[in-house]
Order: sequence, then C-alpha cells, then structure tokens
Amino acid sequence: MPTRVTVTGPTAAPSLALQVEDLHVSYGPKRAVDGVSLDINEGEIFGLLGPNGAGKTSTLSAIEGLLRPDSGSIRIGDVDAGTNPTAAKARMGVQLQSTSFQSDLTIREIVRLYAGLYGVSLSRGEIGDLLADVHLGEEAAKRFSQLSGGQQKRVSLLIATIHDPPLVLLDEPTAGLDPQARRQLWDRIERLRDAGRSILLTTHSMEEAQAVCHRVAIIDRGKLLTVDTPAGLIEKHKDDPRVRKVAHGQVTLEDVFIGLTGSELRD
Amino acid sequence: MSSQPSAPLIHPPTLSGILRALLQADLTVQLRNGRALLLTFFPPLAVLYGLFTAKRGAQLGSPIVKVSLALTLGIALIAILGYTASVARDRELGVFQRLRVTPAPTWTIMVSQLAVQILSMLVMTVVVLIAAAVVEKVTLDPAAYLLTLAMVIVSSAVFLGVGQALVGLIKSVDTVNAVGRLSFLPLVALGLFGHSDIFGTTFETISRWSPGGAVATLLSGAMNPAAWSAETWWAFMASVVYSVVFAGVGIRWFQWSTR
Repeated sequence: MPTRVTVTGPTAAPSLALQVEDLHVSYGPKRAVDGVSLDINEGEIFGLLGPNGAGKTSTLSAIEGLLRPDSGSIRIGDVDAGTNPTAAKARMGVQLQSTSFQSDLTIREIVRLYAGLYGVSLSRGEIGDLLADVHLGEEAAKRFSQLSGGQQKRVSLLIATIHDPPLVLLDEPTAGLDPQARRQLWDRIERLRDAGRSILLTTHSMEEAQAVCHRVAIIDRGKLLTVDTPAGLIEKHKDDPRVRKVAHGQVTLEDVFIGLTGSELRD
Repeated sequence: MSSQPSAPLIHPPTLSGILRALLQADLTVQLRNGRALLLTFFPPLAVLYGLFTAKRGAQLGSPIVKVSLALTLGIALIAILGYTASVARDRELGVFQRLRVTPAPTWTIMVSQLAVQILSMLVMTVVVLIAAAVVEKVTLDPAAYLLTLAMVIVSSAVFLGVGQALVGLIKSVDTVNAVGRLSFLPLVALGLFGHSDIFGTTFETISRWSPGGAVATLLSGAMNPAAWSAETWWAFMASVVYSVVFAGVGIRWFQWSTR
C-alpha cells in the first residue's frame, strides 16, 4: 500500500504545488518507484531522503518529465503533467543531479538560452544583474566547466529559477560542496521559500534535511516509508526497535534513517 | 528572485521563441568551433584540386562530376564527423537532459542542431563552388546554382540520417567517432567511383547506388539541369530512401542520455 502524506505544511489552508498519486516507474523488470504518493504545499520545502538506488532520482525524473511512469498521476498546481507536459514544465524549475550545459557557451549565453526557452526576455544588463546577484558577475564570460563546484551549483539554481516557477525541484543540490558553499545554497533555497516557492529536494544529508526542510520523506526500494517533519520523524520512530538498535544515545534523524533503511551498503 | 511572496506569472514560451533561443545557442557553438568548421572545408577543396590535377582524373568523370564528388565528401564530413561528435558529446555531458526538462519540445532540440549543420553544409558548398569557378573555371547557370543548393539540402538528409543512426545505435563518444571514420569507406569513398569503370562495371554499379554515389549523381544532375535524366531521378529517390531508413533507425533507437 502506498504511504499517504497527510501532515500539514507551513500554511494554515495550503493549496498544493505538487500532487503525486500512486506513481510507478520501472526499468525493464526492475521496479524503481513503487506506488509513491506525496503532496507538497505552496511555500513548503519537502525533502526526499533515501540511500543510493532508493528511487529518489527516478521519482524526480518522472515529475520532471524525463521518465514516462508506468502508472500514476502527477499534477503541478492545477496542471496534469501527463496530459499537458509543456505547461507542467513551464511551471517548474529543475536542477538535475549532474547538470552540464553546452561546453562552448559562456555563462551569460547559457542564461540567455534558458531564459529564452522559458519565454523570458532578458537584456544583457539584466543577465549581468542576475549573475551579480549570485556572485557570478565576474564569471559571465567564462565557460561552465571553468567554474568551481559551488559556482556551477549557483548557475544551475539560477537557471532553475530564471522564470520564477512556483515549484522548484532540486536533485542533491549541495552534493560535493564545501560547508561554506553549502550554507550559501541553503540561504538561497530559503530565499526561494520566503518568496512563496515550493521546493522538492533530494538529499543524503540529514543535516540539510533538518536545516531547510519543513517535511521529510524517507524512501527505500521505491516505496515511501515515512513522512513527517524532521522532529516529528524522530518522535514517531524513537521507540522503533530497528532505530533503537542503531542509536547511540539520543535518537537522531540519521538513526531513524538507518533504522528504517538498514545498514547494508548500497551501490 | 523577489523577496516578497507572490504568485508567479507563468507565460508559456512560444514555439518561435524556443526555436530562436536554441538556434542562437547552436549557431554560437558552431561559430565558436570555427577552426573545426574550416578544417571540414579543407578536404573537399583538396579532393577538388586532386581530381582536377590527377593524371587519371579524367576517368572519374566530367568536371561537374568531380565538383559533385568534392561536395559529397564535404557534406559527409560535416554530417558524419561533425554532427555525430557534437550530439554524442552533448549527450555524454547531459546537455540534452537539461534541455528536456524545459518546455522545449524534444523535436525542437534536434531540429535546431540539424539546421545549423545544414547551414554549415550550404556555406561549404558555396566555398567549393567558388573554388571550382575561380580555379577550375567550372561555372553554372544561376538556376543550376539554386538547384544545387536545394539538392545539397536533400543530400544532407542522407548523411545526417547516417549520423543519426550512428548516435542512435552507439552510446559511447569514442566508439561513435571511430565508427564514423570507418563508415566513410562504404558510405562515401565507394561513391567516388560511381562514374568510372576503372574497377569494372559491377563495381561501378555498386558504387553508383551507394549513399555517396547516389548523392554525387544527384548533385552532378543539379549542377547541369539540362542533363537531368531518369538516372538523376533514381538517384533522388535513392537519396530519399537512404534518408528515411537511416534517420528512422537513428530516431527509433536514439537515447537522450547515456546513463
């Protein structure tokens, strides 16, 4: 049975930015996503936690339109992504896990390209202002491959939000970043939330989930195991024998994660 | 990014806006690779010179046939080496996946790439035709020039179809590049002897109806419309069939990601 998310988000009478119903995705005989259902409220940051191969990226890819699900429905606001994928894509911004852009274009040209693809017309000066806002004003004439990891993530996030979408999907946005760059990115994610955007992010970092997410879902083997606020998850599972077994003293979110998903290594 | 919560206004992008953005980006990439593009102009010019100066060059056909052979080589180079390398590299980098999460329909991504390649082929054609006129004194009627440019577009479909089939069937960048070079022999070099019985009539027939031979026949027919014959029509038909078959294979098995 799919896990149903019922916990309320941060607003009193929230409307849904994203609604996923009974999503199934397979790669040949392998079932990657097995009946996932989740709702994300407007202005909410929702974290999807899971070990490698748990189905996080497959879930995100189906929402982004990169994968055709076997069954299930996806609604972005009031748009059905299955029947109107173009309108759905126009309403979301995406940062892929391993993004690269055209290697022969400068950062300025990449921003202009993606703005054009979302129907946003930007002058050279406006592009410069946007890049300056993410501290990349000096890098406008560089190629993407010439930027540091943190700078690349900032470009990716800028492009994901270039059209001011109501929903932003971030696949492991801080993976591989140093603590300073990670904190900067968290600040930017929180600024998006403050501007009323909804965010679905995947992460391996319990610290990140606790720092920025209103609610967190733990996914493993394609199924949602549990969903709640970070504190709510700890409270809900602190007496679970699997969690107690791996806890060292006070139960943490990581203990809950390891307890529910197991200790064995994943590829 | 605004600092106050607000309902974002979504203006769906127009198809023309999407195509304009993609074409501008792809053209910029092509121009930035100007040196590589110039290098693809060199082989057809070298072949043109070689065919006109070789001792047995006359056996390969008329001056117009020699120009058509040089054009065939140039078109094939841009399509099989240039286009496939570009698509394989962008796919490996994840560029296509990034584009596919935007509202741009997937066909616009490919159409933009193909349009830029065809433009490169037309520029190469103009360069070769100017060289043929200036150096070898091969000049055409204005109508023949226009018909040649039109048939270059038809010919481009043959070799871009071959390129699409290569990147459809092969994922690895290195393997695509290696197989692309190897495929030159049956696809292009064989066609050089479609108007010569140096190796006998059977070989000539096989050569004439190979992809390179059909394209060379079509282009030489376009350069001399007065001599457009049933054989030229058959070459046209063969080119269309090759285009449909190769492009069909390439589209059927093409994957946007190597992962």
